[in-house]
Order: sequence, then structure tokens, then C-alpha cells
Amino acid sequence: MRRHTRRIYNLCYRFTGNHHEAEDLTQDVFLRIYRTLGSYRSAHGGFATWMTSVTRNLLIDHYRRTKRDRMTDSLDDAMPKLEQKETAARRPDQAALMGELSAQVQRALGRISPDLREAVILRDLQGLEYKEIQDVLQVPEGTVKSRINRGRIELARLLEQMGVRPE
Amino acid sequence: MAWTCEQIEERLGEYLDRLLDSGERSEFEAHVASCARCARLTEHVGRLVNHVHGLEPLEAPPLLVPNILDRTLGPRTQKEGWRAWLGWLRPVWQPRFAYGGVSLLVTIMVLSQALGLQWRRPTLADLSPANVYRAADRRAHLVYARGSKFITDLRVVYEIQSRLRPAAEPQPAPEPKRGPGQSEGPPAKSPRQLNRAHEYGREFIMLACVLDAVPTRSER
Repeated sequence: MRRHTRRIYNLCYRFTGNHHEAEDLTQDVFLRIYRTLGSYRSAHGGFATWMTSVTRNLLIDHYRRTKRDRMTDSLDDAMPKLEQKETAARRPDQAALMGELSAQVQRALGRISPDLREAVILRDLQGLEYKEIQDVLQVPEGTVKSRINRGRIELARLLEQMGVRPE
Repeated sequence: MAWTCEQIEERLGEYLDRLLDSGERSEFEAHVASCARCARLTEHVGRLVNHVHGLEPLEAPPLLVPNILDRTLGPRTQKEGWRAWLGWLRPVWQPRFAYGGVSLLVTIMVLSQALGLQWRRPTLADLSPANVYRAADRRAHLVYARGSKFITDLRVVYEIQSRLRPAAEPQPAPEPKRGPGQSEGPPAKSPRQLNRAHEYGREFIMLACVLDAVPTRSER
């Protein structure tokens, strides 16, 4: 239970970039899993993959629901992020620098399209195989490969624009 | 056929995930070696992927699991009275702690027995190293003597049994083959007479064995 909770929470946080939203979404995911447990068929894939599919569907619903709010918030958020980056550059502590780098990656993740974002999160952060991602997203293998590839390149370009260079 | 920059960009993900076969991989690397733009892109995205793979998963908030349980299974009833007071002992009331406690108790009992500690009348002198050593030595000798006596007794019993077995369990004689229409022959002795004869014989043999095994006073 705790292992799955942590995994789902990480998935939600990486997708939304917000701890409170991730916590609420994780609870919603487990509530939905609890209610629809009867619809799970092991023939269609592993339980973890099914949980990830449920999470992904909820995340997409959440993304569509909050799309308008984000468009108004995005301009207001731009200035504080730049300030944070400058203060981070002065920090001598390596761990803090890594933490800041992770935060920058998280911000860049939030800027790419949801299709590419979910593919990158599932592959690089959740460590799923291509076949599992294919089962979760219900798209052909070629599309999975293309989305992961485009998502990574987009993320790298965004980080370059932000002046971030992972070592 | 040499790969173009567009092909490199399209297959970069597969290259980083090692999904290209050896021929495609060598084509990819040949192009990257000759194209500065693609080399830079490959290096940058590769670093990013390595960095993202190295990100530690976040810890879930501590109240997340209880909240999920409340929302799915319903709020748990709060314990009242003495049960609430003993709630903090719940982690201790687990089988592994019980096994550990019992093992510790048994160890203490065995050690105290071996060291000759008297729990009914404990004295300070019992804890003196010289007394502890003396008691342990005495205990060890006693255990050794009892063990050797037990083994000797076992050997005597085994010897008696092995000598008695052939007399007590005689092999039944094979019945003679009879021809068709032949009578069964003369009647045997009555079973009671046979049993009595066996009993006498057995008692004599047992007495002889015991006298033979028990050491005489001069041997002691």
C-alpha cells in the first residue's frame, strides 16, 4: 500500500508540479481504484500498470479541468522562478544545487505538452518499459517512442533556455 | 546509407534507451561523430536523461495513507478507556517481539541454571566471578556425568534388547506342503503350554544378561 502510494504520489507530483494537488489526486486515484477494483482483469496487464492507467486518466481529467486557471497563473509565476534560479547559483552546497536542478527540471516538465510530459514521466521517472507505457497510454509502440523522444528533446531545449545544464 | 540530422533526432530516444541494433547504432554514431549539432543534441539530451533517472522519488506526505484509508474504508473508530491507554504498546505486541522476548527469557534461564544462580535466595556472593566460575564448573561436570550415565544405561538396555530379540520373536516354521486330499497331520501342543515354556526361557535369558552387564562390586 505504502509503496503504491509513493509511486502514485510521485507520478501525480511530476505531472502537476504541486504537492497539494498531487496529494488530493493520489487520494482520488485510490478512491477510484477502490470503487472500480471489480473491473480489473489480470489478463489485460499487471496491477501496477492498471493503477498507472487509472492515475493517468485522472491526471488528464485534472489537466483539462484546470487548464484555464493555469493560463492566468503562468505569467505571474515567471518572475519568482528567475529569482530562485539566481539564488540557487550562489549556493555552495552540492545537494542544494541538485535539489534546485531537480526543481528546474520539474518546471520544464510542466511546460511541455501533457502527451509528451506523461510519456517522459512514465519512462524516465517511473521507469516503465515501452510495452507498459503502450498499455497505459493505449497508443501504438511507434507513438510511444516518438512521444518519449520528442518529450526529452523538448525538455532539454527548455532547460537550455532556462540556463540549466545537467552535469 | 548515411543518416540525416532528421533521422538522428527521430531515433535519439531509441539510441539512448539502447533499442537500436548494432548496424543502426554504428550509423547513428558515425553521423554524430561528423555533425557538431547532432553531437551537442545527443550529449545534452543524454545528460538530461541521466539526471532524470538519478532523481530520488519523493516521500509521500505522512498523512496521505491514513487519509486514503479514511476515504476508502471509512474513518476508524477511536479506542476508548484502557485500550486507548495501551495503544502505544501496539507496535510491541507483534509476534517477532514475542519470539524475541521468549528467546531472551529462555537464554537467561539456561545461563542462570548453568551458572548456579539461586533466584529464590539471591546473595551478593553469587555474582562473584570466582563463585560463578566454580558453580559453572560444577554444573558442567554434573551435566557430563549425567550424560555419560544416561548413555551407559542406554547401551545396557540396547544390549539386553538385542539379546532377547531372537528368543522372543522366533521365526515361524514354514508349513509343509500337502498334497491334494492329504490330512493336516497330528495336532500340535496346546497354545497355553507353548506360551509358558517361552516365558520361562525368556526370564532366564534376561536374568543372565542383566547379571552379565551390571558391574560387580569389585569392578566398581
